[in-house]
Amino acid sequence: MKNWIIEFWYFRELLWALTLKEIKIRYKQTILGVAWAILQPAALTLIFTIVFGLFLKVNSGDVPYPIFAYSALLPWTFFTTAVSFGALSVVNNGNLVTKVYFPREILPFSAVFAAFFDFLMASIIFLIMLVYYKIDLTLNLFLLIIPVVSILLFTAGISLLLSALNVLFRDIRFLVPLILQIWLYATPVIYPLDQVPQKYKFLMLFNPMTSLIESFRNFALHKGSVSGGMIFLSIIVSVLTFMLGYLFFKYRERVFADVI
Amino acid sequence: MKTNENNFVVSFENVIKTYRISKGKYGLLTEAISNSLELMFARKKTGRNLIAALKNVSFKIKKGEVVGIIGRNGAGKTTILKLISKITYPDKGSVNVHGKIGSFIELGAGLHHELSGRENIYLYGAILGMTRKHIEEKFDEIVDFAEINKFLDTPIKKYSTGMYSRLGFSVCAFCDPDILLVDEVLAVGDFNFQQKCLDKMRSFAGKKTIVFVSHDLDAIKSICKTVIYLEKGRIKKIGNPKGVITTYLKEAKGEQI
Repeated sequence: MKNWIIEFWYFRELLWALTLKEIKIRYKQTILGVAWAILQPAALTLIFTIVFGLFLKVNSGDVPYPIFAYSALLPWTFFTTAVSFGALSVVNNGNLVTKVYFPREILPFSAVFAAFFDFLMASIIFLIMLVYYKIDLTLNLFLLIIPVVSILLFTAGISLLLSALNVLFRDIRFLVPLILQIWLYATPVIYPLDQVPQKYKFLMLFNPMTSLIESFRNFALHKGSVSGGMIFLSIIVSVLTFMLGYLFFKYRERVFADVI
Repeated sequence: MKTNENNFVVSFENVIKTYRISKGKYGLLTEAISNSLELMFARKKTGRNLIAALKNVSFKIKKGEVVGIIGRNGAGKTTILKLISKITYPDKGSVNVHGKIGSFIELGAGLHHELSGRENIYLYGAILGMTRKHIEEKFDEIVDFAEINKFLDTPIKKYSTGMYSRLGFSVCAFCDPDILLVDEVLAVGDFNFQQKCLDKMRSFAGKKTIVFVSHDLDAIKSICKTVIYLEKGRIKKIGNPKGVITTYLKEAKGEQI
């Protein structure tokens, strides 16, 4: 374990270089370029506002529906982008894995960090929306660091797990988009958690993204009920997921080059 | 003597490496599951679907030695390089390596088509474990050696094959490795560049360890002090270039008849 960390540290600049590569090539030969990072959550917010805000009149409490939706779609989009790219990262870089040695976890990590760049871009829109909807910009905003880091850890853990599995079973490639789609509806993104009937609510808490998204949204919009328990839960789940993903990845890592 | 032991930068002891021949089909979940169950229970490896790439290989390489590896296709040459660079691991036996490795195993691995020559130097350098500062210091030398000055900001998908391999070799040669692994990649460059690479490798001799896999026996003869002749995963002969190459050629001819 200690050796893994030392080695990772030795290759830390590679993480940066590969992240930069991911960001650069993702938007190469696209007309809109980095604007895609913003368009994705923005477009979803628009359609959800029309369908769930206007047509179905989902009650978003004391905040307008658009910012209610965006405040969850922002971290959610980060999660899905990172996991989609992260899950494929080892296989897609197969030519590197079979030819050059470096700690393999750098591949899913760079996918996660590249998605995090998108997240930061899309956060600019979020700030503008906060101002537009006259939501107080308080020091609470700095507390967002807690759910953001938790989501990062959780996302990295899932990406490590899936990218290692994908080396063995390419089914993961097809499974991931499907699961992410279902997962969106199972998470309080387009509806608030308190609208969920009491008897199902505890079920929702088995979904780690519930507490992560809820903490993010509650901190960002500082809706009164930022429950300490929820935040604690989200941190624990994130750290555990990360460790599990990391250990599984390192355990399988040695055979990657032979199997790809 | 203990110090003697430390002089070896690469040592293989009774290394056995087998590969599973994959059935080559993915996508069917049923098959994936049955394969994985097979993997789980057949830990002992039944011999079915297995190919022995190396069968009990032992050798040692001293610091500063230039070693050539020859043998027919599939003899296990590349597997040895992959084991040295920790890309893959032995099934049995041990591989010990001391020092930083620069592996130029395959043309263009690590280079990205959409990025420019400049960006690729930084990327490939980082892949080989160079720090950004180190790359910046060596940048001009790398560019000069690769002869790509004019095309530095062109995406390398527009490069010719020769430019591609020159770029790859240059970064590798200047990443200042303790052990340089070169796998018959020089064949693509033109004559001048081949000579340049061989000169570069010669200039390393004594200071750096080089393991050179090639079918170009003249190149092997001209830079290597020791040659390993592999046949079907075993070391057939090891020793001075002249003797080993003669044996190799004799046997190759013998089989033709």
